[in-house]
Amino acid sequence: MPHLAALLRVARRLTLDPESAEDLAQETMLLAWRGFHGFQTGTNARAWLFRILFNAFHAAARKPPAVASGLSGVQAKTQEALEIAEALDALPIEQRTVLLMCVVEGFTCREVAGILDLPIGTVMSRLSRARQELRQSLAPMAKEAYR
Amino acid sequence: MTDDELDQRVRASILAEEVDASRVAASVRNQIRKPRRVALLALAAAAASIALAAFLWPQIPSVCAAAARDHEREIVNGEPRRWLTDLSAIDSLAEKQGVPASAIAALGTTGYRLERGRLCFLKKQIFLHLVYTKGGSQYSVYLRSPSGEPSFSGSVRGGGNLAYFETNHVTAVFVAHAPGADARAFARASAMAFQGLPS
Repeated sequence: MPHLAALLRVARRLTLDPESAEDLAQETMLLAWRGFHGFQTGTNARAWLFRILFNAFHAAARKPPAVASGLSGVQAKTQEALEIAEALDALPIEQRTVLLMCVVEGFTCREVAGILDLPIGTVMSRLSRARQELRQSLAPMAKEAYR
Repeated sequence: MTDDELDQRVRASILAEEVDASRVAASVRNQIRKPRRVALLALAAAAASIALAAFLWPQIPSVCAAAARDHEREIVNGEPRRWLTDLSAIDSLAEKQGVPASAIAALGTTGYRLERGRLCFLKKQIFLHLVYTKGGSQYSVYLRSPSGEPSFSGSVRGGGNLAYFETNHVTAVFVAHAPGADARAFARASAMAFQGLPS
């Protein structure tokens, strides 16, 4: 099933809960299946799917659990990956979303603006703030690396 | 740390995480197939109903429709035909076609008077066409030996000027055209008269 892994990966970071993430990814694919007539051939199917995912996420008013469920620790393979994942999960959801979409999933700021229905300036400023906060969170790790 | 370095490390860390989407994929496939199965079952049920209706329905209405057309031509429009008016000749004709004379006698007890009779074809089947009168109205009764199940159906089908039933003695179609002439009432009375006949 194309793009499902990417959808699930982003859903995990949105919900911070593996089960909620699977529900969200499943709902996204079913909504896409039912609404496939709304997809315009020749446009970006991946962006269309992510748009459905974010709409479903906001429509269901899914809120991440007050305490992160240890999602980062489960999947991270190295200490560095664990710290990066934790720092990412600690970001405000708006910044986390933009960072995931631009940096991890490789969408351009313009594409993310289209998917999230935001002005491109908002996307760029959120991305900038996300990088800034992430850099601060990871500073001790960077120092450790240079020691 | 530059933006590019930061992005690269974030990307590498997150993309290195294992993502097992097989469970979600299986669940989605299952959800997608479910309505299809329901739709297919509904479609199959509808097709079976149509097939059953097509099997059962046309036999009765097609004979009835043919009887109605015949009645209109021969009785309403009065197209010339050779009729038998002698009761014993009609009985003899009926016996030859497997219609018991007792059935004709039973019809005579209903209050309707037999006027004439002849053989005719309805849907490539030979029927004994009898014309009865009552209250100034003419009624056509088409009889033949039963072709289907021998058991008495017990019900009179049709409405208004056309009625049909089948007993173990005869298949009977009743047609009336004039206003106030109720073929169903004649059919009902005949069905009751036929019930008393020996099997």
